[in-house]
Amino acid sequence: MNPIAYDHKMAAHCETGTVAALLNHSGMEITEPMVFGIAGGIFFGYFKTAQFTFPTFIVRSKPGQIRKNIEKLLGVKMGSSTFKDPVKAEAELDNLLDEGIPVAVQVDFFYMDYLPAWQRVHINVHFVTIIGRNGNKYLLSDIYYPKVVEIEKDTLRKGRFAGGSMAPNGFMFYIKSIPPKPDYEKAIRKGIKKAIFNMLKIPIPFLGVKGIEMFSRKITDWPKYARDEEHLSHEIMKINVLLEDQGTGGAGFRFMFATFLRQASEILKDNDLFEMSKRMMAIGDGWREISLHAARIGKKRELGPEKLKELSDMIRSRAEAEKEFFTDLKKLV
Amino acid sequence: MNITVDELKHEIKVLILDTLKITDIKPVDIDNAEPLFGAGNTIGLDSIDAIEIIMALQKKYDVRLDDQNLARVILTSINTIAEFITKEKGLTG
Repeated sequence: MNPIAYDHKMAAHCETGTVAALLNHSGMEITEPMVFGIAGGIFFGYFKTAQFTFPTFIVRSKPGQIRKNIEKLLGVKMGSSTFKDPVKAEAELDNLLDEGIPVAVQVDFFYMDYLPAWQRVHINVHFVTIIGRNGNKYLLSDIYYPKVVEIEKDTLRKGRFAGGSMAPNGFMFYIKSIPPKPDYEKAIRKGIKKAIFNMLKIPIPFLGVKGIEMFSRKITDWPKYARDEEHLSHEIMKINVLLEDQGTGGAGFRFMFATFLRQASEILKDNDLFEMSKRMMAIGDGWREISLHAARIGKKRELGPEKLKELSDMIRSRAEAEKEFFTDLKKLV
Repeated sequence: MNITVDELKHEIKVLILDTLKITDIKPVDIDNAEPLFGAGNTIGLDSIDAIEIIMALQKKYDVRLDDQNLARVILTSINTIAEFITKEKGLTG
């Protein structure tokens, strides 16, 4: 079959980037930051539960939420399915491709063998878009990779049916229809309100700004959870990975949210939102300083109480900045 | 910017070496097309070095390189960094 004429672009995050690219393909002009912002993607959560052997944190809403919120707030209709049987999953994928419909599939990142080996880790929630097939190969667009690639059918199958936590189960989604005239202004305001609610109003002490405050308080306790210095340094350096290296667009999605606000200010013709976008960019720069500090002290094994206190103070300053930011943002919507 | 592309490439090499406090390699030792990341290369950068370099480039040239996926492509070599800065800032020399 001929490949679908699909405009492959790199993007920051697999879910937001893939949704934006599929919408663009369907004729909707929308950017990745706009998808992220309208879907209320910005978030923070600090977790120390039995589920996690070591404290960890998240910087965005849970996987799948972006797609669902875009459907709800912009009136986009998407088809989606999960499968037990890989053969049926492939048959359904092939049917859609034959109809000329690009299909996003959830995969274990590890099996994406066009990426360099050092980059490939087992993460079950990665999305790529299939845009054609050629014999025993599929044509694949991955927003993390500069060009369209071919992947062996068997390899893709391994990725789509990998086991473990949050197993893909062959999950796929595609665009069925887009609204003729999406109400961006309304969707943007709802997205901003959602972000404000998530960051300021959820009455749970480890979510939103309260989660950042908890992160700041608790990080000085991290040595007691670590097996040894090696383990602690690994976990401290992971702060950098979670903020910068997981398709966050930098600074734990704060830069992406800032870009959303800038684009929103243009659509809504609201200069105050533009000023808020600059403030969020500066907040992101502060998070990036945290990434760098964590990476440096982790790499050098400088993990004494005074260094963790420095990290704690830097995180607390982000909590204060974000509390003030979202409080001020609330006055604009 | 009123410097030539070659001068810019030299400047980038000096910036990288200074930022990472690498003293046993000279700018001339780094090939413009050589991959900067990975073991076995002259510098052998890792992802932490990448953040340091991104912040240094941002400060010196006032360019933003926020997204790590794109940053990874831009930081491939001295040539690709120079190309990015040239495009962002304009180069007359």
